[in-house]
Amino acid sequence: MEFLGEVVGDAFAAFSDFGPELLEVIGLTLVVSGVSTVLGVLLGVPLGTMLALERFPGSGILRTFVNVGMGVPPVLVGLGVLLVFWSAGPLGSLGLVFTPAAMVVAQVVLAIPVAAGVTRGAVGGLAPEVIREIRALHLPATMRYRLAIGEARAGVGAAVVAAFGRVISEVGAVLIVGGNILGETRVLTTLIVQESRQARFGIAIAAGMVLLAISLIVNLSLGRLHHPLGVGM
Amino acid sequence: MNFNITIPKDGSRLDVSGLELSAGRRSVIFGPNGAGKTTLIEYLSSGEGLGASGRTSYLQQRPHMFRGTAGFNLGLGLDAEATAWATQLAGRLGVATNLEQNAPSLSGGEKHRLALARVLATPADWVLLDEPMAPIDFAERPDILTLLAGVLDGRSAVVVTHDINVVAALADHLVILDRGRIIDQGEASRVLGSPSVVRSAEILGKANLISGMAESTGGLCVLEAGDVHITGVGSVDGPGRALFGAEAVTLRLARSGHDLSNRNTWIGRVESISHQGRLVEVVVDIGVRIVAAVTPGALVDLGIEPGVDVGVAVKAAAITIVST
Repeated sequence: MEFLGEVVGDAFAAFSDFGPELLEVIGLTLVVSGVSTVLGVLLGVPLGTMLALERFPGSGILRTFVNVGMGVPPVLVGLGVLLVFWSAGPLGSLGLVFTPAAMVVAQVVLAIPVAAGVTRGAVGGLAPEVIREIRALHLPATMRYRLAIGEARAGVGAAVVAAFGRVISEVGAVLIVGGNILGETRVLTTLIVQESRQARFGIAIAAGMVLLAISLIVNLSLGRLHHPLGVGM
Repeated sequence: MNFNITIPKDGSRLDVSGLELSAGRRSVIFGPNGAGKTTLIEYLSSGEGLGASGRTSYLQQRPHMFRGTAGFNLGLGLDAEATAWATQLAGRLGVATNLEQNAPSLSGGEKHRLALARVLATPADWVLLDEPMAPIDFAERPDILTLLAGVLDGRSAVVVTHDINVVAALADHLVILDRGRIIDQGEASRVLGSPSVVRSAEILGKANLISGMAESTGGLCVLEAGDVHITGVGSVDGPGRALFGAEAVTLRLARSGHDLSNRNTWIGRVESISHQGRLVEVVVDIGVRIVAAVTPGALVDLGIEPGVDVGVAVKAAAITIVST
């Protein structure tokens, strides 16, 4: 017990001792996860809506891809993105290895299937007469998708929360493609890994508390948005 | 256009081998609940059915209103010209709602009328309507049926209904469907006079079909069935049949006397009473048997029970007389 009390004390000390350093890491975490969530949702939600409403050649395969993608280990995605951006890889000339941009790419790849999968469930779960009405209307696809997303807004809100949860909590992919370089690509999760390995539990716990606080704030504000009655969860 | 298909329906299959639908005509598919009408029209509305050869405009039995105003929903998928037409139709269909109102909170009847207006105004190769008159008050039905008949005249339309009045008002081509099979189809004037209609009306139990000798008299037509004279719409001289729904029949106290505004008033004896969902079916013998569908409240108010005398009235406008 004494030990645990000590490390919690260290955690609070860490806020003052490593304040500026920690702020930088928090800032990068917010930018990388925020941008990844937005891009993942912008691509994943329409994809999920399309999969729920349409059948076309290859849609079955796409559906399987999404389902598998929802559970694929982040380290595998990190490895894939790293190979693509590696200096000898197909996009090596872009020089993105160990940059925040590569981290965003990896997290977008992780976020899309989650956003798409949860959205597909939400839109596909609409009452049959709603789906038939959407199909029966003489509307271009984009307008049909907008109607469907509006009807399934609570579920689509859950898709946004799930996509954010996937990227903010993720460590494997950003570690591999970002490299955990202090001041460049170190984020809260990779910071925790780093500090725990060196038995500097104070900073690790401090980073963990910040991570929890971010998740809580984001979920509460998204919950307010997606709840059908417009009130908090 | 011919369809030779079977469609899966709740475990069994709907067999519509030989279903004929013609462009430029109003086809009505008539049958009791559970005959497969909605399954069939859903299929026809899809890309595999009529959607394969053209655009369809489809009214579901319970249309859905999307988040937004009534006006937004009315104009969905329509250009400016069609929206103006839809707005005009909505007014004529009796939509009293302010178009700025929130659509999902409207009553079922208002939603239905808005959707009907949009479906009719949508430029499409085929208009498909599933029970278009079901949520409309009985008093308004004759006017709205006339409006529907006019708007659909000359268009390619498929209407499914279990209401004999809709059949009489709209059908150029008539298909009788029962338990997932086509019993009869063809020119409405022929099929309405054929025994298959009587058979499905029996299954239905809610339609009155009374045979007799008809004589036309200046726009109206009087059918003589034994001692009973029934006045309706039609121009038949010779053997004919009067068609009207059970909802078209009103019951009143036997002693309330003759109603001058109504040609068809009789006194009859109540034969049987049976509860059918929210309505009660009362069979009255006025010389011929007539089925009336009334509310349980009316039953109590009028003291209706088997063996008592009761007044029976039907508006002439609600009766169609066809030749047999």
